[in-house]
Amino acid sequence: MILSDLVDAAVYEDGRQLGFVVDVRLALDGPVTGLMAAPRIVGLLVSARTSTSFMGYERTGTNAPAVIARYLAYRHRGTFLVLWEDVRTVGGGDAAGSADARVELRPGFRRWSAALEQHGTASQA
Amino acid sequence: MSPRVRPRPRVPDELPELPPHLRPAGRVLDARLHLLDRQILDVEDVPVTTLDDLHVSYADGDDDVTSGDRPAFVDQVLTGPVLVTRVFGGRPPASRLVRIPWSDVVDVGVAVRLGVRGEGLDATWVQRWLRDRVIGRIPGGRHDPE
Repeated sequence: MILSDLVDAAVYEDGRQLGFVVDVRLALDGPVTGLMAAPRIVGLLVSARTSTSFMGYERTGTNAPAVIARYLAYRHRGTFLVLWEDVRTVGGGDAAGSADARVELRPGFRRWSAALEQHGTASQA
Repeated sequence: MSPRVRPRPRVPDELPELPPHLRPAGRVLDARLHLLDRQILDVEDVPVTTLDDLHVSYADGDDDVTSGDRPAFVDQVLTGPVLVTRVFGGRPPASRLVRIPWSDVVDVGVAVRLGVRGEGLDATWVQRWLRDRVIGRIPGGRHDPE
């Protein structure tokens, strides 16, 4: 699978639309085949309002410029992380941005905070 | 239908704060935020290409990833002619994307660094072809400027 199949896909739980995949969270803790571990998919970041994201404002706690930060925080309100284990099916789209791309979550899945700081990501990237 | 006109669920203005998920053992990256569109540099810091997409498969190499039943991993970095499809939509066929194994990646930061020379990668064949077949035939095109 190509990652673009996931990004921008519509997300559903039991037939009810929850939003769109804005990003895919990875952790460098997979099999080590070279100098770096392979990135493992931790989960999907789902935003109810939009399938786009601007510089990760809603995940990084960036608060400047204040006007832009507040607007983007409002626009992305309710963004959550859903773990990869809670993804029941992926499919339906064969092109990035396809309106048919669809992710179905397991009933009773749990929502987690989308914030990156709580995941301790590197700050230079 | 454009994603911009897809139906969207209503979201209340005030939402409860969500609990943080346990931090994984390794460094955490968001694909779109930290990887996609980053420049790829080779072992000598020479720009090679940009990271246009990522290939995902299960641990056994099966790339038909259809559910979260098993852990899925990024095993290849993809690059290719995506400019036109970004403007007009869609994605180039998988056969047109050049694949760089993740095992060649040695660092992810502002740029993605490879541990191999770009000269030997398929991703640079257009540059090599232009150098050898076009630039090299221009008088003075086979040596550094003096």
